[in-house]
Amino acid sequence: MNKLLFILLLSTLESVIAQKYFTRNGFTELKASTEAFEPIHATNNSSSAIVTNEGKIASQIFIGAFKFKIALMQEHFNENYMESSTYPKATFKGIIVGFDFSNLTNNKEIKLKGVLTVRGIDKEIESIGVISKTSNSSFRLKANFKVTPQDFKIKIPSVVRKKIAKEVIINIDYELKEKK
Amino acid sequence: MHYNKIIILFLFLNLNTTFINAQNDLLEELDKEVKPTIQFQSPAFKALKIGNLQSTKIAEKGDIYLIVSHRFGPLKDGFDTFLGLDNANTKIELLYSFWKGIQFSISRESFRKTFAFAAKTLITKQSNKFPLNLVGYATINRDTELDQNRFTNFTLKDADRYSYSLQLLASRRFSKSFSFELAPTLIRENLQILEETGTANHNQFALGFGGRYKLSKRVSLNAEYVHNFSRDENSIYYNPYTFGIDIETGGHVFQLLFSNAQSSNEPGFISNASGDIAFGFNIVRVF
Repeated sequence: MNKLLFILLLSTLESVIAQKYFTRNGFTELKASTEAFEPIHATNNSSSAIVTNEGKIASQIFIGAFKFKIALMQEHFNENYMESSTYPKATFKGIIVGFDFSNLTNNKEIKLKGVLTVRGIDKEIESIGVISKTSNSSFRLKANFKVTPQDFKIKIPSVVRKKIAKEVIINIDYELKEKK
Repeated sequence: MHYNKIIILFLFLNLNTTFINAQNDLLEELDKEVKPTIQFQSPAFKALKIGNLQSTKIAEKGDIYLIVSHRFGPLKDGFDTFLGLDNANTKIELLYSFWKGIQFSISRESFRKTFAFAAKTLITKQSNKFPLNLVGYATINRDTELDQNRFTNFTLKDADRYSYSLQLLASRRFSKSFSFELAPTLIRENLQILEETGTANHNQFALGFGGRYKLSKRVSLNAEYVHNFSRDENSIYYNPYTFGIDIETGGHVFQLLFSNAQSSNEPGFISNASGDIAFGFNIVRVF
């Protein structure tokens, strides 16, 4: 009887302190350059993400925090394309298939699946990423995927159509630490 | 019996916590963890000017702007001058920002063959912490057209060619499409020709009002008016107004406008607007 009680107590504790990993300064990069035109490249160093021990992941990013080299490009990105005053953030909700922190090795390939929400529009995303264990309580997640402006109903006027790539590459590089 | 009850209680707790975990949205948890940061509002105006009046927009560090402005002759001249198009007053302005939040410009305008030097500096930006964009602006103008032959009992000194303007620009973007600006202004004119201005008001105070309304993502309607409080009632000059549209295409902004002032320098249009409405435009190109 005592043993059974002890096991139950342990399992209760475990579910109460279910382990989570977290970052608020993840790196996200956007690339939409075409050849022969000025590079379209933006970075964001304040992406946040949370991963549970079961591999559930949620991530969010402020559109206004993307930095471009050319200020006017950044202004157009926010005002004309992303409408960041109406849709201030983009989110991702999904799973890292087969995530298990205790079995992590270096450069382990994983599958990332979920829904990316930009401008209030959902898009299913599937991508191959890489996870590396960086310490006993942290790991690094890198992945990339492609989206198109049409996925999120972003209209590109014909005058600039040649300057903006048809597919936008998104790179993420997040180091998540155990959340206390 | 006693133990059984406790076991059931734990089982229930277990179920309960997993249930809560599943329901607990990770995104909501993220929201709580992310520290609120300063969110700056997008600029209140697209171009560096509303029409004639300076806007609160400032060139970013390293940006070079070339601004070509034309003000044509009065529309009332009619077909004789093709609605004023025969008489163009051209201003060419080169502008650069060496450091973050400050820009410098040099320009030359046909109206009174005026050279101008100007500086504009950012004081604060509208954000979720502060409601206004505040910007300071100062300019020095030199009139190189003034000629001694014009005067009989007056000796023209070099200092008489200079006029100055100092402005505080305060704007707020009230909504996605509507922005408004107030511009308290000091004008200093070293030369006052009494036949034109009535009395000698070397130092003048004026208040500018300007607004823009976005018609679409790339087109906006702009209007402004400046009230010069120091103007004598016998002055031949008028308070200036300007209205027009901004059309933005990538790195260009085209501003097509109508104004009753011929100069687009501050002492020029705030103190010396002739009052006849004329067509004009500014072409702004950023490199």
